[in-house]
Amino acid sequence: MEAGALAQSEDLSPFERWREAMRDRPALVTLGFVGLVGVLLIVFEGLQAVADTALTGLSTGSIYALGAVGLTLVYGILKLVNFAHGDFLTFGAYMAYILSGSEQLGVPLVVGILFAMAMTALLGVALEKGMWAPMRRRGAGMLQLLLMSIGLALVIRYAIQYIWGTELRQLDVNDTATVDFLGLSIGRIFLVVIVVGFVVLIATGLMLRFTTLGKRMRALSDNLELAETSGINTSRVILWTWILAGGFAGLAGVLLGATTQLQPEMGFELLLPIFAVVVLGGIGDAFGALTAGILLGVVIEWSTLVVDERWKTAIGFVVLILVLIIRPQGIFGKARAI
Amino acid sequence: MTDPFTMVGVSLEAFTSIGFWTGVGIIAGTYTIFALGLQLNVGYTGIFNFGQAGFMAVGAYSMAILVTETGIDFWLSLPLAIAITMLFGLLVALPAVRLRTDYLAIATIAAAEAVRLFALNATDLTGGAQGLFGFDDSWDEVSDTIEGWLESLGWSNPENLFPLFLVVWVVALILTAIMWRIQKTPWGRVMRAVREDEDAARALGKNAFAYKLQSLVIAAAFGAIAGFFLALNLRFVIPDEFLPIFTFLGYAVLVLGGLANYWGVAVGSIVFWTILEGLRFIDLPVSEVKISAIRFMLVGLALILLMAFRPQGMFGKKEEMVLGD
Amino acid sequence: MTDAAAAAPSEAPAQKGGSWIFEAENVVKRFGGIRAVNGASMSVREGSITALIGPNGAGKTTFFNLITGFYKPDQGRTTYMGEPITGEAPYRIARKGMVRTFQITKALEGMPVLDNMMLAAHDQPGEKLRNAVFRPAASRRREREVRKQADDLLEIFNLTKLRDSYAGTLSGGQRKLLELARALMTRPRFLLLDEPMAGINPTLGRQLLDHMQSLRRDAGVTFLFIEHDMEVVMNHSDRVIVMAEGRVIAEGEPQEVRSDQKVIDAYLGGSA
Repeated sequence: MEAGALAQSEDLSPFERWREAMRDRPALVTLGFVGLVGVLLIVFEGLQAVADTALTGLSTGSIYALGAVGLTLVYGILKLVNFAHGDFLTFGAYMAYILSGSEQLGVPLVVGILFAMAMTALLGVALEKGMWAPMRRRGAGMLQLLLMSIGLALVIRYAIQYIWGTELRQLDVNDTATVDFLGLSIGRIFLVVIVVGFVVLIATGLMLRFTTLGKRMRALSDNLELAETSGINTSRVILWTWILAGGFAGLAGVLLGATTQLQPEMGFELLLPIFAVVVLGGIGDAFGALTAGILLGVVIEWSTLVVDERWKTAIGFVVLILVLIIRPQGIFGKARAI
Repeated sequence: MTDPFTMVGVSLEAFTSIGFWTGVGIIAGTYTIFALGLQLNVGYTGIFNFGQAGFMAVGAYSMAILVTETGIDFWLSLPLAIAITMLFGLLVALPAVRLRTDYLAIATIAAAEAVRLFALNATDLTGGAQGLFGFDDSWDEVSDTIEGWLESLGWSNPENLFPLFLVVWVVALILTAIMWRIQKTPWGRVMRAVREDEDAARALGKNAFAYKLQSLVIAAAFGAIAGFFLALNLRFVIPDEFLPIFTFLGYAVLVLGGLANYWGVAVGSIVFWTILEGLRFIDLPVSEVKISAIRFMLVGLALILLMAFRPQGMFGKKEEMVLGD
Repeated sequence: MTDAAAAAPSEAPAQKGGSWIFEAENVVKRFGGIRAVNGASMSVREGSITALIGPNGAGKTTFFNLITGFYKPDQGRTTYMGEPITGEAPYRIARKGMVRTFQITKALEGMPVLDNMMLAAHDQPGEKLRNAVFRPAASRRREREVRKQADDLLEIFNLTKLRDSYAGTLSGGQRKLLELARALMTRPRFLLLDEPMAGINPTLGRQLLDHMQSLRRDAGVTFLFIEHDMEVVMNHSDRVIVMAEGRVIAEGEPQEVRSDQKVIDAYLGGSA
């Protein structure tokens, strides 16, 4: 009965044993690392600064996480590198703008958000039926689909530019009000983003873990062929994946627009950080994307305590490049042969 | 009886202007050089390099920095800048080519964006958002000489940018011929084997890793050269010129011409840019911004339609394509 | 032109039935918590034809991958022609004359058959870019030799009429032949075949076996092949090595192994 036996620890040196243990518990290592960074920052920059930036970071991180969950599911299940995902965020933001933009129809933001999510989900479904499914049936390869998604990104982005131009627009939110929270003062809009983001993300996490649909999504993401042969109605699951991906992207876009401004490039500018989150969390792993998004948001905001603010976006890339070099399967991904 | 052009509302005058064709020609030539590197990567090695704009940036900025800040002679700065870019390419390639195809695409685009962001923020070195200028005096002398030569041939008032147009295309055609020739060598054969199946190539004694490195480093050199021509055309070097859209347009040119065909790149580039620039003159009663938006929407649409209905483009060979794998 | 001349290893083989051309000692490979190969040891004599058999999941192909460099072993040592090759890169092992084929043929589909063949030859100066550019004459000379060798081999394997077709258009059986012919272009000393008979018709299979025998007889090529077809194993191999659950459980002449209780148990005993 020796095959299948776990690795005998007597043949590894203590260092190697520790390294194996670390490799098997990446989440712990990461949290430990982030915690360590946090402690160091508190020591050097003070608790106030660290807590303030952490809160902003949670807000940014929620947006990253929402954007990344949809992207990672689509990527994991359909093997589609969707370069248009960033523009889904932009689409959502502008859909909300139609109803709740400043000097627009004056509809409350809540309704605007729901409208945006619905419209973006609809967009995702329409594209799946009209474009992705037919291409998959024809056996299209990865590069073909990738280039199509680039084309799609251009169409969406510039259609938005055609309709609304390039000038900056605002959603009708009160972005100057602040809230006092545990002795910290935080912009109310950030708090809203954090609350909304976390509620949705936690609900998603629960859905993925405990509902049939969620389990099926994870099964498809793990091994599409196996899932197909086990009788799961894959096209329905794929449809729901797009609904979720679209909905979340739309929500992320609105939240992004609420905390910044609307312009046609807004979503695409976030695409690479979102890719970084997807890779960090492990492609196809929605929990990973969730966690990695929050973590990355916090780390990026913390970085402003140490380096000049303008290098903030670059941090995202540094993280991505480091992850790709050190551990391409991401923090939470299994050690597959990449 | 109205002709189709009047119905669509494209102003025809532009097409008779030498200035228009020279401008288009320069862009098309620059993109040809840019996409030749992509062709080696995508069409012949099977790696999806989405960071070519980053290599262009390294080349252009290196040249500009060398000339304006260290006072090196322009002509010397060119091979130096190419060398710097190839070294950068090697640094990116070493970790990147080990990755799976889709990860490599993300890694290369990340590297390119890192370069752009660095150029944007390292203001002391790169001039930040304002960029660098004033590196083209030596080129101006050459350009004047060529203009004089054109005058002596009978062209009384030569188009100002025509010398650049000539040089771009001479270089582009020479580089195309070079790539076409070396593709036929045993080296080219191993490269194609790496594209088809890396493990099979390794099992036959070929060091696939080394070939992928070479592919990216060569593409970096081509990116640098394209960067030089971009810089000379604009007369300045700014980060905004090296956005990912540049690489995406390069891919549009590449797939229009067709994968695994070097001469097709030039044709694809000319066709693409003639149409795209020609569309500027749509005679619709809408603002500049909207016309620009329409143009890029059409590029996106063209990409989608090409990939859906004619993935091999104009001259690609279906049997050799990396696309349907 | 005989098989041997076209595919002969470039140096003369050692005494037949003499030295060990390959040895593996306690090779281990872990994937996650599972030991796919769990301390496999074996030796192969030069000039022999050895069959590697075992139930599904025994670790045979993983073992092949390990000894040819496609996986790095976690433990253990491998030696080829007296030199250690543990952890060597696959292309280096192939260049030393230890060449493997794949279970699912890897015909380079987007390249013509002739290119597939010419690719495989060793010592092609033109494969280095600096030679292709600066020493074209030497490159062209070698190309001519390689083309001749390729054409000769194609003729032996009856693939000449497909010379200029893209390998992607070949049938399954033709691809198997191409894979073998291509491997022979490398003038291997030690050829490792992963299920060479799978999916090809009996006539073709017999041709392949005949080629193997004549290569061993005339050029001293050593063979190690993974196979499931017991008829082939019993009648065409000198020696049989049996793997189960990641290690070698029996070895010897075909008749001995067939009646070994351990082997019978392994096949019947429900290791998946």
